[in-house]
Amino acid sequence: MSNGLVQILDGNTFVVSDSRGDIEASLTDPTGLFSYDTRFLSKWVLTVNGQRLNPLSVDDLQYFETRFFLVPGTGTVYVDAKLSVIRSREVAEGFHEVITILNHDEMPVDLTVRLEAESDFADLFEVKDALKKKGTYDSRIDDGQLHLMYQRGTFSRETIISTSASAKLDQRGLTFKVHIEPHGEWTTSVDVATGLMGPGGEFRVQVKDKQARKRARQSMEQNLDKWLAEAPRVECDWEPLQSTYRRSLIDLAALRYSPSIAKGQSLPAAGLPWFMTMFGRDSIFTSLQAVPFTPELAATTLRVLGAWQGSRVDDFRDEDPGRILHEMRYGEMTAFEERPHSPYYGCADATALYVILLDEYERWTGDTKLVRELEFEARSALRWIDVYADLMGNGYVSYKRRNEETGLENQCWKDSWDSISFHNGTLPGFPRATCELQGYAYDAKLRGARLARLVWKDPALAEKLEGDAADLKRRFNRDFWIEDGEFFALALDPEGKQVDALASNNGHLLWSGIVDKTKAKAVANHLMGPRLFSGWGVRTLADGEGRFNPIGYHVGTVWPFDNSFIAWGLRRYGFKAEAAQIAAGILDAAEFFDGRLPEAFGGYRREVTKYPVQYPTACSPQAWSTGAPLLLIRTMLGLEPMGDHLVVDPALPEGIGHLELLDIPGRWGRMDAFGRGRVRVEERLGQRAQLGAIAHGTTNGKTNGRKRGEKLTRARRTS
Amino acid sequence: MTDATAEFFDALAQRGHDPMLGRFKGSVRFDVKSGNRTEHFRVAFKQGDITVTHDEAEADCVVRADRSLLNACAAGEKNIMAAFLRGEIAVQGDPQLLVLFQRILPGRKQSEDALAMMDAERSES
Repeated sequence: MSNGLVQILDGNTFVVSDSRGDIEASLTDPTGLFSYDTRFLSKWVLTVNGQRLNPLSVDDLQYFETRFFLVPGTGTVYVDAKLSVIRSREVAEGFHEVITILNHDEMPVDLTVRLEAESDFADLFEVKDALKKKGTYDSRIDDGQLHLMYQRGTFSRETIISTSASAKLDQRGLTFKVHIEPHGEWTTSVDVATGLMGPGGEFRVQVKDKQARKRARQSMEQNLDKWLAEAPRVECDWEPLQSTYRRSLIDLAALRYSPSIAKGQSLPAAGLPWFMTMFGRDSIFTSLQAVPFTPELAATTLRVLGAWQGSRVDDFRDEDPGRILHEMRYGEMTAFEERPHSPYYGCADATALYVILLDEYERWTGDTKLVRELEFEARSALRWIDVYADLMGNGYVSYKRRNEETGLENQCWKDSWDSISFHNGTLPGFPRATCELQGYAYDAKLRGARLARLVWKDPALAEKLEGDAADLKRRFNRDFWIEDGEFFALALDPEGKQVDALASNNGHLLWSGIVDKTKAKAVANHLMGPRLFSGWGVRTLADGEGRFNPIGYHVGTVWPFDNSFIAWGLRRYGFKAEAAQIAAGILDAAEFFDGRLPEAFGGYRREVTKYPVQYPTACSPQAWSTGAPLLLIRTMLGLEPMGDHLVVDPALPEGIGHLELLDIPGRWGRMDAFGRGRVRVEERLGQRAQLGAIAHGTTNGKTNGRKRGEKLTRARRTS
Repeated sequence: MTDATAEFFDALAQRGHDPMLGRFKGSVRFDVKSGNRTEHFRVAFKQGDITVTHDEAEADCVVRADRSLLNACAAGEKNIMAAFLRGEIAVQGDPQLLVLFQRILPGRKQSEDALAMMDAERSES
């Protein structure tokens, strides 16, 4: 992935190619043109006179458009600069590519330009797991178009390739015989359309004519401009934050996904390229991060996930009534029920998080209409927690998959096989009650109680939920607390024994509010201590645990998303300086990644590596990593809606002198928030200003929120 | 003809209400084919109230399916969304209504534990 270029458009259609614009996929190689979880092109190679091309530069113009500047010859010896080739590619229901060849010579040239095309029609799951296809392939040339086809029973997929310049077509590609005058140029456009069985049962192919393509493109550009214009603005004297913020907004725009059920509205998909689909957990966490910036994402997420809410017991899909889905897929293996993703529900946290998001959304927007509309869904989610999630009958949410073949073992956000372990490295049995699930359940009950009282006018439900929450908190602080270590166990095993590893999940507990005040200081100390805090952020698993590995997926890496919620949790318990320190570390890391935080990076000590080491196969951009800087801006400014007001209580890391977030949308209309801090100026010259490397202190700015048009009084206070 | 399809729509007509559909309004018509014969089941819902008729009146969403497939879906043996992805059913109109409707269909292979939980919940409410 690291050398690949990704383009995306229209939700789940994307191209991954090399820097020449070529695609040469194998069953396990992840390049290609993908749509609806199916690879429609596995080979797409351009040659001139039989020679491969050599990249000079690549411009990522937009998230849906890339331009490749190339010359013939594969670069190691000598580059023939008498010809240049430009490939411009736009993705839209397939892609549109314009190939231009410039002759820089004083002599005319005759060239054979060849495009090799092939498709394996692999399901994304097959690409991941290297599985063999069960259907049959065919191809035909028809009316100047090359059709590549795949059929398995009623399931059919087709790639259709057409071109503007005349070409000789064969089963494996297109050949152009080209004559170019001195200093002249030749150009052709090539369209690759994807076809699948559409509603109506007819084969649906999306081929756009020039006009339609132009309109689609304009609307995409306008859409992106509008998206950027409507988001709050950030002003900050530490420049990297502004560019990280802008990168995040653009990536979030690219990650928007409009399932047909959403009627043109969009919600955040999980990540590019492999997770361009609805994920309950990822869509909810990202929406939570983005609520102060783009609350409409939350509204769509709630509506769509509500429409798909589990309604029955289905063991294959790990579905129960009230459960919020985990993942939706559209590929061949899902279609033939070889995978349960139509959709799959094996996720133990999204259901409580659904209620949390609904409440958070209302607190910001005042949109009680949506809360009323989703009353049944929210009540069902709350019932799921009590009725279906308590697998051990001990009053705790736990998980154990019923689909033992293709279901997920770990149904918490740390969903890899070895993520939940004892201190000595052994793995507990199932069901597992991980600690953060209890926190989410607690928070969901309290937030559900607020909505019951405020909107559903059901004080009896509110009282019951509050009583249950108080009881859960009391039991949790007794049963999960590890006395001698002074932190919360990662989980309880099937015998109710504490799974005693120290992990970042403790930070999510602060966020949920389930932690007794008397225990919060000890928890914060662990989060900021050397075993968990790397200098960049909090590791998923503490150094010193049996399974700790600084590049282990959930057992030692640092996840920006995880850290953004930990920072929120620290703020919730009043640990402003600590929250600011986490913001500083993660934002410093973001700068190393040009503003685009990866899913995870290595948990090495900051002093050792000096720069954050990207986790090898992580998806990028990843929605909840993209949302992390947004939530960190919120935690630095201490933004909290209170009734119809927005409270601002900034605590900036050292190195940020002032931070402004302007035009924050909400029930107040639009508001601005300001924070002031201290900048230490005695930095060593020639060194890039890094926030987290300066000191561990923070400064508290004066709180300042104002409605638009009101007179601004900015005061300054430092501590 | 009494089969899983007929039983399913009969039971749905008798139930007459499902709060799960409370926030939606619309109609789905199933054109169910077996041999040369096509039978129509039209389900209309509004504020959770459900009406089932056997006419060919217009609907917001029309689903064409073979009876054998729908029998399997009505018995919880096959998933209608997967059938949709396979191209085994044809859907015209608003696909959102199919998404909502399919939630009323039974799930696949129910474990004893889960069934017991569902029963417990029903008796509780």
